Amino acid sequence: MEGGPFALIATDRGVRRLHAVDEAAATLGLFVGQKATDALALVPELITDEADPEGDLASLDALVDWCVRVSPAVAADPPDGLLLDITGVAHLWGGERAMLDDLLARLARQEIPARAAIAGSAGAAWALARFGEDRTVVPPGAEADWLAPLPVTALRLEPETAAQLIRLGLARIGQLAALPRDQLARRFGPGVLMRLDQALARAEEALVFRRPATPWFARLAFADPISVPEDLARASRDIAERLCARLLAEDQGAGRFELAFHRLDGRAERLAIGLSLPGRAPAAIARLFAPMLETVDPGFGIEMVTLAADRVEPMAERQIGLAAIGEIAREDGIAPLVDRLANRLGEGRVWRAEAYPSHIPERAVVRQAPLAAFGGQGWDANRPRPVRLFARPEPIHIPLAQVPDDPPKIFHWRGRVRRVSKAEGPERLAEEWWRRPPGETTPAHVRDYYRVEDDTGARYWLFRAGLYGGDEPPKWWLHGLG
Amino acid sequence: MPAPNPRLAALRAEIATLEGAARADAEVIAFGDERVDGRLPGGGLALGHWHEFVGEGLELETAAASAAFVARLAAPLARRGELVWVLRRDDLHAPGLVGLGFPADRLIQVCARDDPEALAVMEDALRTRGVAAVFGEVGEVDLTAGRRLQLACEQAAATGFVLRRRPFGGTAKAATSSAAATRWSLAPSPSEPALGEFGLGAPRWRVSLERCRGGRTGAWILQAWEEDDAAHPFRLVAELGDHDVAAQAPLKLAG
Repeated sequence: MEGGPFALIATDRGVRRLHAVDEAAATLGLFVGQKATDALALVPELITDEADPEGDLASLDALVDWCVRVSPAVAADPPDGLLLDITGVAHLWGGERAMLDDLLARLARQEIPARAAIAGSAGAAWALARFGEDRTVVPPGAEADWLAPLPVTALRLEPETAAQLIRLGLARIGQLAALPRDQLARRFGPGVLMRLDQALARAEEALVFRRPATPWFARLAFADPISVPEDLARASRDIAERLCARLLAEDQGAGRFELAFHRLDGRAERLAIGLSLPGRAPAAIARLFAPMLETVDPGFGIEMVTLAADRVEPMAERQIGLAAIGEIAREDGIAPLVDRLANRLGEGRVWRAEAYPSHIPERAVVRQAPLAAFGGQGWDANRPRPVRLFARPEPIHIPLAQVPDDPPKIFHWRGRVRRVSKAEGPERLAEEWWRRPPGETTPAHVRDYYRVEDDTGARYWLFRAGLYGGDEPPKWWLHGLG
Repeated sequence: MPAPNPRLAALRAEIATLEGAARADAEVIAFGDERVDGRLPGGGLALGHWHEFVGEGLELETAAASAAFVARLAAPLARRGELVWVLRRDDLHAPGLVGLGFPADRLIQVCARDDPEALAVMEDALRTRGVAAVFGEVGEVDLTAGRRLQLACEQAAATGFVLRRRPFGGTAKAATSSAAATRWSLAPSPSEPALGEFGLGAPRWRVSLERCRGGRTGAWILQAWEEDDAAHPFRLVAELGDHDVAAQAPLKLAG
């Protein structure tokens, strides 16, 4: 910010306090948390603006998306931090140091000031990025040495705890680490020990990544940004080949691929495909992406493409000789078809019906992934069912008085009279009473199903909801045909 | 008699071999009754082609009896490979199909948004190796789409079953000439329970073969065999003459 000291102000419990200060303001002695009135009295020329914590969070979120170009595993660390798991991806840049420089240079180009560090634990990286020298890369296992000179506030402690430690003369992390562990825990609570262990990579820390960390990640950067569809197609093919070569080398296959086109303006266009059986054929994967490429808006150009594989599992080399005898392997025939359809129409539009143990007709069928293993026990052959089942039963009108417990002799449906000549039933299906609170199961939830045939031979599956003699007369519904 | 043109003779011989070859290894689903099979070239419903099934009256909207008939007819194809059913409305009820001997729990169902998409999916599925039969519920198949389906059938020797179904409340499209190998008109027919039994008998259909390439038309009443291990899907109940068909065809409008 040009032209004098600048600060953001936020209201905290009724008091206006400084939320953030720039360098000029900091050199004048202003600090975060100071009362706004005090600050303005000290520095009358201070330029202030209202803080926007929600906007900050949204920007951080956008930055998380942007950082996926570096590694698929990015976690936001509000209010102002990002944690990237770079396990297995640094080699793409030719080393961790080069990666760090590249990332910071790219951020600087977008006028985002940033500091960064690489370490074996999230805690150590956090501390060094804020309190250490910028662009520190800690060699594996050396966290303790590098953290020792840093102040204890670098341990992400509660402010009160940190203040207490400093009062006791324990200002540096090295002093804290030198104390016996049991004493530390007893005197300062388990929080201090936990943070210390996390920083020194002695304890695991659960980070909430936007996407799970995956070593199955490939990246393709372009010296000149690309934007024409043919280039996008070629890029998706090339990157699929890279990742699939690694999958093949380690006998793995993946069930899901996510392709991201990183634009010059920092936004990313993402596409994802799923496979019904794990795969690693680059041509097939590129073919599935191909119809989606036209939806990609390249903006001013695309500078990088990344591909991440998910649901990676071991996949044996195929026995090509066996598949050639007689039947065609599913990998060759039906699996690519299911993938094409599921990716073109949407996954919910391709399915296989499987039996579910419920006697309620609409619940007796569940949708299963087309090539998932068979899990159902099949349907009861002694209960005839219609060929078409309506998602919502349709009301039918019965013009004549009924003999109780008999199916109707005549009914109106879709504007025509149907004369019933044959009928079978009833098959009584009570509602699954355990799905309702006790006391609410009433006869109105009992359905008596009849299979009837009219004088043309058309077949209907009717039911009567409720019983005769109750408070309300029973209603008749048509639930299926055939 | 003039000397035969040798080129013409050679061409005729070539055509004969081509047709003969096609006939010899043409596989069919036989109905098991000469009165039906005799009308169809090859003695049954030809595999590697597509067949069109049109319901009558409300059946054109619900496609319930025709789905049952086609499922019954095509059930033996499940042994040859995968089955794919392309829908516009997902109201197909698997337990009902299983009751007809059709392995609906192995059936891959696809719900398309419109007719062109349904036809494209059918074509794609028919071209896929390992797929034995593809069923499609569409409003209309025009000549171009029909030819494309036929080419797809030939490529992978798969069999297509098109159920003409108009959307609820939509208007019926007039039957057009199509590239289908056969066109069938289907309607339910009143069942007859076995002697001494109550309720509904085995389902029956009034089936008329309206168009048949290289064969003859005809009309019959067919009934599903009750036994699961029957060699053929249907039992012929009656053969209908032209006057029977004409007498049955007009739909009773009442109410």
